[in-house]
Amino acid sequence: MTKALISAEGLAKRFPQGQGQPPLTVFENLWFEIAHGEFACIIGHSGCGKSTILNALAGLDTASEGNIIVGGKHVEGPSLDRAVIFQGNALMPWLSALGNVELAVSSRHKDWSRAEVREHAMKYLDLVHLNGSELKKPSQLSGGMKQRVGIARALSIEPQILLMDEPFSALDALTRGSLQDEVLSVRAKTKQTIFMITHDVDEAMLLADKILLMTNGPKARIAEIVENTLPKERSRTDLHKHPNYYPLRNHMIEFLVTRSRELAGGAGAKPGELRHPPVVRPTIGGTTHVETARSSQPAESTAATDLQAGRVSAA
Amino acid sequence: MSFDNPFDAKTKLGHGGCSCGHHASDAEHQKAIEADNRAVARDEDLRLSRIVESAVVRALFPEDATRRAFLRAVGTGTAAAAIAQFLPLGAITDAFAQGATPEKKDLKVGFIPITCATPIIMAHPMGFYSKQGLNVEVVKTAGWAVIRDKTLNKEYDAAHMLSPMPLAITLGVGSNPIPYTMPAVENINGQAITLSIKHKDKRNPKDWKGFKFAVPFDYSMHNYLLRYYLAEAGLDPDKDVQIRSVPPPEMVANLRADNIDGFLAPDPVNQRAVFDGAGFIHILSKEIWDGHPCCAFAASKEFVTQMPNTYSALLKAIIEATAFASKQENRKQIAEAIAPANYLNQPPTVVEQVLTGTYADGLGNIVKASNRIDFDPFPWESFAIWIMTQMKRWGQLKGDVDYKAIAKQVFLATDATKLMKEAGLTPPDSTTKKFKVMGKEFDPEKPEEYIASFAIKRV
Amino acid sequence: MAQPSASSLNIKATIVSVLILATFLFAWHLGTAGVATTQKLDPEYAKLMGATATQGKSAMPGPIEVGAKIWEHLKDPFYDRGTNDKGLGIQLAYSIGRVALGYLLAVAVAIPLGFLIGMSPLMSRALDPFIQVMKPISPLAWMPLALYTIKDSGMSAIFVIFICSLWPMLINTAFGVASVRKEWLNVAKTLELGPARTALSVILPAAAPTIFTGMRISIGIAWLVIVAAEMLVGGTGIGYFVWNEWNNLSITNVITAILAIGLVGMALDQLMARLQKSVSYAD
Repeated sequence: MTKALISAEGLAKRFPQGQGQPPLTVFENLWFEIAHGEFACIIGHSGCGKSTILNALAGLDTASEGNIIVGGKHVEGPSLDRAVIFQGNALMPWLSALGNVELAVSSRHKDWSRAEVREHAMKYLDLVHLNGSELKKPSQLSGGMKQRVGIARALSIEPQILLMDEPFSALDALTRGSLQDEVLSVRAKTKQTIFMITHDVDEAMLLADKILLMTNGPKARIAEIVENTLPKERSRTDLHKHPNYYPLRNHMIEFLVTRSRELAGGAGAKPGELRHPPVVRPTIGGTTHVETARSSQPAESTAATDLQAGRVSAA
Repeated sequence: MSFDNPFDAKTKLGHGGCSCGHHASDAEHQKAIEADNRAVARDEDLRLSRIVESAVVRALFPEDATRRAFLRAVGTGTAAAAIAQFLPLGAITDAFAQGATPEKKDLKVGFIPITCATPIIMAHPMGFYSKQGLNVEVVKTAGWAVIRDKTLNKEYDAAHMLSPMPLAITLGVGSNPIPYTMPAVENINGQAITLSIKHKDKRNPKDWKGFKFAVPFDYSMHNYLLRYYLAEAGLDPDKDVQIRSVPPPEMVANLRADNIDGFLAPDPVNQRAVFDGAGFIHILSKEIWDGHPCCAFAASKEFVTQMPNTYSALLKAIIEATAFASKQENRKQIAEAIAPANYLNQPPTVVEQVLTGTYADGLGNIVKASNRIDFDPFPWESFAIWIMTQMKRWGQLKGDVDYKAIAKQVFLATDATKLMKEAGLTPPDSTTKKFKVMGKEFDPEKPEEYIASFAIKRV
Repeated sequence: MAQPSASSLNIKATIVSVLILATFLFAWHLGTAGVATTQKLDPEYAKLMGATATQGKSAMPGPIEVGAKIWEHLKDPFYDRGTNDKGLGIQLAYSIGRVALGYLLAVAVAIPLGFLIGMSPLMSRALDPFIQVMKPISPLAWMPLALYTIKDSGMSAIFVIFICSLWPMLINTAFGVASVRKEWLNVAKTLELGPARTALSVILPAAAPTIFTGMRISIGIAWLVIVAAEMLVGGTGIGYFVWNEWNNLSITNVITAILAIGLVGMALDQLMARLQKSVSYAD
């Protein structure tokens, strides 16, 4: 593991209520880190503020408290280094698929000629297998194809980080599957750092390296960080055949069904856990807690981090 | 009578009737000099040299009597030759012909498409403007308010207006007071009372109770003449009838649609109503007041003071055109020139009937009234005073009025006198005169007494 | 029974349209044919009178007369016989020119101002009362004020066109801009497009269909108003032509002008509809 690329430090989002009433806290004491090249998913029930977190990472929204540091810098606003794939496709309907991607490319490379922009945009449309449909308007494309354009647009600016807000939730199951495959293959090629919101436990298990589990709001927090114990090279078809599949899945389902509610409103939080939510590895042999590196400690070597991450304590 | 030959011993170099005593009547006198006048109108050079000669002869013999005696003694030809010997008349004439160069050659003059505007309009097709070295565009305009605004905006350098308008504007009646000048009257007479054909048996105004009448504008001779006529018949124009202000083009349509019973309007509206079978001409306005002014040539004070040469050139053109139009024999030619769409946009026969005075009255008769309309540029100050008495009589004007001062300020009779002299015309000696309206004499010296003498009034 | 195809429906509609037109023309012809009760008139007198008075001819011209007049205008639409007598084509060109000028001025003002109002809730609220008061004012009510202040009747007519075209465009632009989807703006933000490029390449195309709806409404109003304005101010233009021919009681010319006004109005509307279609998008 390398040094964190993204670190969220004590984020909170509060909305002022009527006069005399305390503000409504959506989430607070939110701490997490995402390393270079890591694929992190966040799962939680509606209302826990997932989208706000993603928008804060994107720079489209601001947290009421806390800091977000990306690549050693405070996030002040949106940046071409953090591309967003929106829940709706957010394509410009008056532009063709190519035009949408070109808009992004030309904003990244202002000095490029039209031909260069076009060539680059076509490369990313090819990557998501849309060659042949590049001149179609979004209204002429299927839902899945539209989302592919969105992905191509986000990737075409070659961002440091890809932020995905439930990108496939509006799609039917078959399309969703094929797009998930697309994301897997793209990621294999680009080694992109990705932060994704999802409702879908299976999607998280397929795609993510680690999964942040959020308690219900208000006063939501990250209760646990689940490491994906499935092998790195995985495919949708044989995922469920792995022995760790059910322990991992059950752990998360159980969290979403019962614990997310029990832990809501900040209940059951141990003081140390707020800054460093427990990291767990559900496997066939049982769920183990991993002692994480303390971010407050001085910069550690990669070797030390690996060593600590590998140290297993009894459950 | 402003176009007289200075070498005619019978002519006084002043305004006046036949005072030479050689003719039994004015008409006969007129006839005698007509042939000569025709030559004047045709021949610009002759006219110009006569202007100069007139000035010279006048300078040599300031006394009319002496001059006449001299001319009678030696004869016209000899006199001219004698003077030419010691005065280079030709050179003076040339110098005058060149005149002062106008400050501005391209001018716009607005007009309302009615026959009152004849001098302003005809000066264009008949070349009176170009003779003065001016390139004048005559622009047809939709209404009196627009013509006023366009003159104020300097879109028009000068314009055709109703003669009471400059008075009303200067007095601040119905608008902000703005300095206007009225250096020339365009036409006298030329209006008529037209009634719907269904009233052809109601020729006595006493039977008109409840009628709806239209006039072109509140501040118009039409309004004052109609009111005067009705009041003389014992009808109160504010109580016994309705008088509305209606743009002339709408009058015939309204008459046909039975919205109005009649109107006192400028021509060609009256003749057009007859032409279209909608109405008949009850009386001509000259039967109310023979020689009444109607429309005027008006310019902003600014134009007059800032471009004096242009202004005098323009005014000369208008005065010349007016002189040309004042001759019966030219009327048919004028009618043809001003009837097309570019000017009045009326059937030529309608315009011709108005200008020649030989017209169908709408009741099956052909009437001959040679002075149905006439043209005389002189802005008598007494006209202005009469107009103001009527403004006061009908409550448009309240309080004390300095009739004479305002008349002098607006009706530029003194300017006209000067310019008419310059143009070789003979202005009248006086700027006021007495005249009769429906047989009743108006004395400009006693306006208040005049108002008081009426039974029906709003004072 | 078989469903009628679109083309057969079109043919039928055309036939009905032609029948309606023919019926109308025939009724018009009958209505204006006039009762030929020629009175016994003195021929000298009759020469001085118009056909309406002497032949009992209807004051309203018939379709054949109007057709002949239209043909006359079509043969020579651009004649120029002086300041006050120009061909129908020239008069229409003057009117279209005035409309174009006033309208383009309104576009130049309404679209930027509409952007400002649409993007700034503060400006939207601050300007709203003014817009609400100014919007319902009849454009011609501005004419005396314009004549008095601008001191130029041509410019006043253009101003009146400007002011009447302004409101639909302004309101539609503001509405279109304010209703641009948040997600498109978010895309623009994450692409660091900057305010100018966001306005041009995101907000403008997104709001274009709404803006063009306003522009289409405006051109219709502008064309309605120019005729009235020119009747008032005179000089040149199709409105002046109508006034001038009315002055001459030439209903034939007035009807011809009415047809021309209708056709040009339709052409302008179709032009705007084309433009509107070219910027609209399916979502």
